[in-house]
Amino acid sequence: MKVLVGIKRVVDYNVRIKVRSDGSGVETDGVKMSVNPFDEIALEEALRMREAGHASEVIVVSVGGDECQQQLRTGLAMGADRAIQVRPEGEVQPLTVARILLAIAQREQPGLVLLGKQAIDDDCNQTGQMLAALWDRPQATFASRLELAGEAARVTREVDAGLETIEVDLPAVVTVDLRLNEPRFVKLPDIMKAKRKPLEVIEFGDLEIAPDPSMAVSHHAPPPPRARGIMVEDTAQLVAELKNRGLL
Amino acid sequence: MHQNEIDVRREWLQNHCPELAVSTEPAVLQSHGRDWTRFREPRPAAVVFPEHVEQVVHLVRVAAEHGVPLVPSGGRTGLSGGAVAAAGEVVVSLDRLRRILDFDATDRTVTVEAGVVTAAVQAYAAERGLCYPVSFGAEGSSQIGGNIATNAGGLRVLRYGLTRDWVAGLSFVDGRGALLECNAGLVKNASGFDLRHLLIGSEGTLGIVVRAMLRLTDPPPPRAAMVLGLDRLDALMPVFRAAREALALSAFEFFSATALQRVCAHLGCAPPLAEACPFLVLLEFDNPDGEDGLSFAAAIYDRCVETGWVREGVIGESATQARALWRYREAIPESIAAATPYKNDLAVRISRVPDFLAALDGQVAAQYPELEVLWYGHIGDGNLHMNVLKPDGMALEAFEQACAAASRSIYALTRSFGGTISAEHGIGLLKQADLGYCRSAAEIEHMRGIKAVLDPAGIMNPGKLIAVG
Repeated sequence: MKVLVGIKRVVDYNVRIKVRSDGSGVETDGVKMSVNPFDEIALEEALRMREAGHASEVIVVSVGGDECQQQLRTGLAMGADRAIQVRPEGEVQPLTVARILLAIAQREQPGLVLLGKQAIDDDCNQTGQMLAALWDRPQATFASRLELAGEAARVTREVDAGLETIEVDLPAVVTVDLRLNEPRFVKLPDIMKAKRKPLEVIEFGDLEIAPDPSMAVSHHAPPPPRARGIMVEDTAQLVAELKNRGLL
Repeated sequence: MHQNEIDVRREWLQNHCPELAVSTEPAVLQSHGRDWTRFREPRPAAVVFPEHVEQVVHLVRVAAEHGVPLVPSGGRTGLSGGAVAAAGEVVVSLDRLRRILDFDATDRTVTVEAGVVTAAVQAYAAERGLCYPVSFGAEGSSQIGGNIATNAGGLRVLRYGLTRDWVAGLSFVDGRGALLECNAGLVKNASGFDLRHLLIGSEGTLGIVVRAMLRLTDPPPPRAAMVLGLDRLDALMPVFRAAREALALSAFEFFSATALQRVCAHLGCAPPLAEACPFLVLLEFDNPDGEDGLSFAAAIYDRCVETGWVREGVIGESATQARALWRYREAIPESIAAATPYKNDLAVRISRVPDFLAALDGQVAAQYPELEVLWYGHIGDGNLHMNVLKPDGMALEAFEQACAAASRSIYALTRSFGGTISAEHGIGLLKQADLGYCRSAAEIEHMRGIKAVLDPAGIMNPGKLIAVG
């Protein structure tokens, strides 16, 4: 069984995000870029499946300019077998990414598509769900545990009320949550090995997909700064202040 | 000191410093009467919390007049007992002198009161697109005043130097109660003795630092970290040289497998390398986006493996993974804290580290086979932390005696290598009797002379750093 893993290049989780002064986006100059942490977890899970003999090949795919090859190489160094970059034309939104992933899934025929539950830059949390619908296959989102059982996968999901375990027929789309696993460190010799692994570049135009024009980003703005707090003398004043603000 | 003498001292405080916030709560006396060391029972007469510099000036002036000993106290993360008050002293806590006073984007300086926490300065600088680069494990609690008093170093000395290199100016209250402003941000100032540098590293024995102007720098570029496993100590320097030639290093840290085992047990995590290597190094280096820093790292690795210096290695590319690798090194102190470690903070010239380490390890193993010794250190600046762990069942006092005896022979060896018995922790209370191992009699005599000028009444942190009399 092939496992297809989506990888997105994002501003590193530990970087303090700054919005460009002209509102055209967030600052990425001189900023650490990394694999979206949820995608890294998805890849780790796929590698463990291959190591356990449940998967035959792990393919990482990313939609982005050539700079995302760096993150694909990281995926290859972690242990993925090959990589696919889809070079888009202009900005892409989740529906377009889902359509691209559908095209790749139809070509590669994976038994499982593993994606991060969301990317930490736009926090959309849509791509996996859209892909499952377009592909007409089952989906299991927010996975914190994943077991393969023949032609099905048993997935424990992190839902608002706690944990929910469902079974989905394969092929399926599974999006992963933080507690599924802890991604491995890259072994140093594997960085050089990763350079020799195949990385295929596909032009968006060659996929014959309609880009989704329904959503476009108009501008970026930082959240308003938090108002200064006040010190109250006693509980009576606290209650009065809360009432003043209509909070009680 | 008897309780009645302590009561007299408390009454004196009330009479002479009625404006000052004072605590004699047992919990506060306990917490503010010591640092991270646990070899002396704290017993201060009181803890005072000045809120303004003028209150410090007044307190020191009357204390000098009446011969009341003062112990300056910052974040209390010291490791040499420099902030321990065990003899009825008045602890001067800088906790409430914690205002950030000024920022200058052109000078790239920030002026803070001494009680500002190190991490708060780092965060303040980051918000303004700059960086205060002095960084170490205790930065979330330690205060700038304490950093200056000990000339704190830490994890990236290799790249950024010590606290000393970032102090553009400081104000201190000397032992007579005079407020002195030193240098105030000048880059060049060839006008005589630089008292600022005299105060840096003086461990509270010459006065109390109340304000500092700190230099800031560009924020660091993206960085990656790797951990390499070594079979032999003599591979340490070749690996360091190879790495420094090809990478812009910001840290080169060393730790032993025994230290790693403690960390893994403490954190409940798997070790970073598949095979157990007796020695590990952690390298941190600049890895700007779009440049192939990782290939450089991989090339060095290949070379180090071919030559047999390195057996195995992993890399943390994302900041999250780099941090995870750092945890293996940073968590060493907390993972051994329960074993009451006796800490030796030694340094020799960088080139002599492997020979020194080998000699030291052999000597301690031969003389004190019952003691477990655990190593870590900043190889990039020649600084080794040797931790002796208390065996279960050994009484604290017996352990301290055994360690003190072992220390003498360690210090003698350190002296023969031209090293120092305190690289960055300070001399404080614990190593004061051994200062002669790294400073000549003439030097110590001059240090005493300088103290006598700045602190004629001998009230500033007495018994620390230089022995009395």
